[in-house]
Amino acid sequence: MLKFEWKKFFSKGINKVILFVLLMGTVILGFVPVSRVQYVDVDGKKPTGITRITAGHRLVADKNRWQGELTPEKITNIAESYHEIMQRYQGDYPETEYGRTVQSYWDIVFWASSMYTTDIDGALANMNRLAEKDIAHIYDAYADNLQKMAEEYGNTPEQEKFLAEKYKEIKTPVAYEACDSWQGMSEYIAFYSLILVIVIGFLTAGIFEEEFRNHAELIFFTAKYGRSKAVRSKIAVGMLATTIIYWAGIGILLLISFVTMGLGGFDTPYQFEYPYSFYVITQGQSYLLIVIGGYIACLLSASVTMLVAAKMHTVKLAVSLPFLMYYGLIFLSRPLSKVTNVFCFTTDVLIDIDRALRHPHIFQIGNVVFRQVPFVIALYAIVSIVLLPFIYRSYSRFDDAKLPLKKQKQYARHSPVR
Amino acid sequence: MELRFKGVSKQYGDVLAVDNVSYSMETGVYGLLGVNGAGKTTLMTMLCAVTRPTAGEITWDGKDIFRLGERYRDLLGYLPQNFGFYPDLSVSDYMMYIASIKGIRPDTAKKRIKELLEMVGVSKYKGRKMKTLSGGMARRVGIAQAMLNDPKILVLDEPTAGLDPNERIRFRNLISGLAEDRLVLLSTHIVSDVEFIAEQIILMKDGKFFFTGTSEELTSGMEEGVWSCTVPSDKVNQYMQKYPVGNVKHVSGGVELRLLSKTPPSENAVREEATLEDVFLLYFGEKAGDEDAEI
Ligand SMILES: Nc1ncnc2c1ncn2[C@@H]1O[C@H](COP(=O)(O)OP(=O)(O)OP(=O)(O)O)[C@@H](O)[C@H]1O
Ligand SMILES: [Mg+2]
Repeated sequence: MLKFEWKKFFSKGINKVILFVLLMGTVILGFVPVSRVQYVDVDGKKPTGITRITAGHRLVADKNRWQGELTPEKITNIAESYHEIMQRYQGDYPETEYGRTVQSYWDIVFWASSMYTTDIDGALANMNRLAEKDIAHIYDAYADNLQKMAEEYGNTPEQEKFLAEKYKEIKTPVAYEACDSWQGMSEYIAFYSLILVIVIGFLTAGIFEEEFRNHAELIFFTAKYGRSKAVRSKIAVGMLATTIIYWAGIGILLLISFVTMGLGGFDTPYQFEYPYSFYVITQGQSYLLIVIGGYIACLLSASVTMLVAAKMHTVKLAVSLPFLMYYGLIFLSRPLSKVTNVFCFTTDVLIDIDRALRHPHIFQIGNVVFRQVPFVIALYAIVSIVLLPFIYRSYSRFDDAKLPLKKQKQYARHSPVR
Repeated sequence: MELRFKGVSKQYGDVLAVDNVSYSMETGVYGLLGVNGAGKTTLMTMLCAVTRPTAGEITWDGKDIFRLGERYRDLLGYLPQNFGFYPDLSVSDYMMYIASIKGIRPDTAKKRIKELLEMVGVSKYKGRKMKTLSGGMARRVGIAQAMLNDPKILVLDEPTAGLDPNERIRFRNLISGLAEDRLVLLSTHIVSDVEFIAEQIILMKDGKFFFTGTSEELTSGMEEGVWSCTVPSDKVNQYMQKYPVGNVKHVSGGVELRLLSKTPPSENAVREEATLEDVFLLYFGEKAGDEDAEI
């Protein structure tokens, strides 16, 4: 039964068109990270034309000169080189110098500067003041700052303890490997998810609408399993299609990134990018969390639109809900999350995990302290599953008489056989 | 095998679509005749357990059909009045889909679909998309899907609507071929659709069954006689007002009318044998069906 429902889903003309366009869009998006790569070779030249495709690989290889633990000695070497260049050119070094040296350690200089301040925006200003004699104690300064963060953001003793414990898990010295491809991909997942929640909402709502759209509901509901197994297989196809479409898309994005930039740097700590995030994970894991957030957003979009389509027999209202849940709320919750915690738990957070990982939102119920990201992901994973029985219920209890007569008349007019 | 209505009514707002119907059906072909809005479709959707009656009970072998649920739907084949399908599926994929929701195993279904598509004469279109079929072809597929589970109860709501005269005859033959060992309920407002194939005829008007019986019982029960007479052209209107008039035919020297009357309407009137069409004319006050119905 599932097989034929599945076939029906993919045979629909509109679905085929949408999926094809989505595929094209995904492929294009897959090339965005590499197209954004700013690479300068030793001659100070930026790649042009087709060579841009491999610029990512070359950039990563250049940065990986510094692969391995970022010990104070290594950082000192970098800082010396950087200061020397800054002095030699009075702060305005030429592209050749950038391509030859600065490019390879720019990320490290930035990171090291931010170790001395909890204010990310201050890090850049810090860079030039990065004193070589301090670097020997860079990880101590970092530890002090982490302690300050724990005190600042831990509003209760429990929260403070929680944060301090989390920060203790950060391993120093930081093990470095260029992770540009994960960073690049992470940036576009939110955008990709924003499109997918709409597309998937529309496609899955269609599974429940089509019986009515095609006036096929009377045959459906008078079939033996039309009010039981057949409804379940509709739900299953909705969830399965969501899963397959989403992960196939992510797979394509990963594949393109792998080909154009490689997938190195999975294990580089997330703290290399955001030293004061209390999510002690790697770059690769942060990417996975972002992707999982997007997946849950799509599942939720599917459950909600299926439920509404099953109730209303049309996709009109159903497809507008993902807009509200994600697009609408994201504009509200960004400013309002500062005012009330409620907006730290809204659905839009799912497609904004990238941001949530950077921002220190922790919460407490009783003595239990928890963080935003795992909570939101778990919450909406549960919600999207809990909604499923309601879809089943409202669809399998269909009663023809409840359709407004106007609609029935419409059916008669549009009936394929007149 | 007994399908029974006990005081079944269906109310939509202030419209009483089906009004206190009690009736019992067993195997055989039942023709449900009535004009537009008589309540035929409403009755059938209740019988197919898609809509609950506002009052009364429908039972199958003594058990409430809504309680029987799946077990009852397993016995059911239904071709709705507005037969809808999934336009992008091919005929055989469509049939496989319906077979799957009817709980027929794929290998059994394949054989059955082959037989049925042959029976209704669309096998050569089985690879075509449903949306490319003509109305008549689609209806045939509609009948085939209703027959997939070899239903004990086959409900066909105006299966001949919109078909051309030849197709209509073919359908009639097809349906009478299906009637063996099952209950077939066929609704129509075209007398000739059921005149010869239905063993029992039900006349429905304003939600009520006001006559049930065989075709002969219906015609012989008529108090009025059927007459044919030729009248001058300018008198036609007069006759039309006075008697229920069926066929009107222009002939040399006037107009030949077929009408109903207890007494001879004119000297030259000739008594004709009553048909079901005449009964329809008498009870519904209008000429039965459309032009196609003359066949
Ligand atoms: N869902 C509904 N809501 C309100 N009124 C309805 C509904 N369905 C049917 N009716 C009304 O019930 C009455 C019977 O309608 P029904 O469709 O059963 O007639 P029918 O005999 O099948 O007519 P037709 O020959 O046109 O198909 C009509 O007056 C119709 O307007
Ligand atoms: Mg009807």
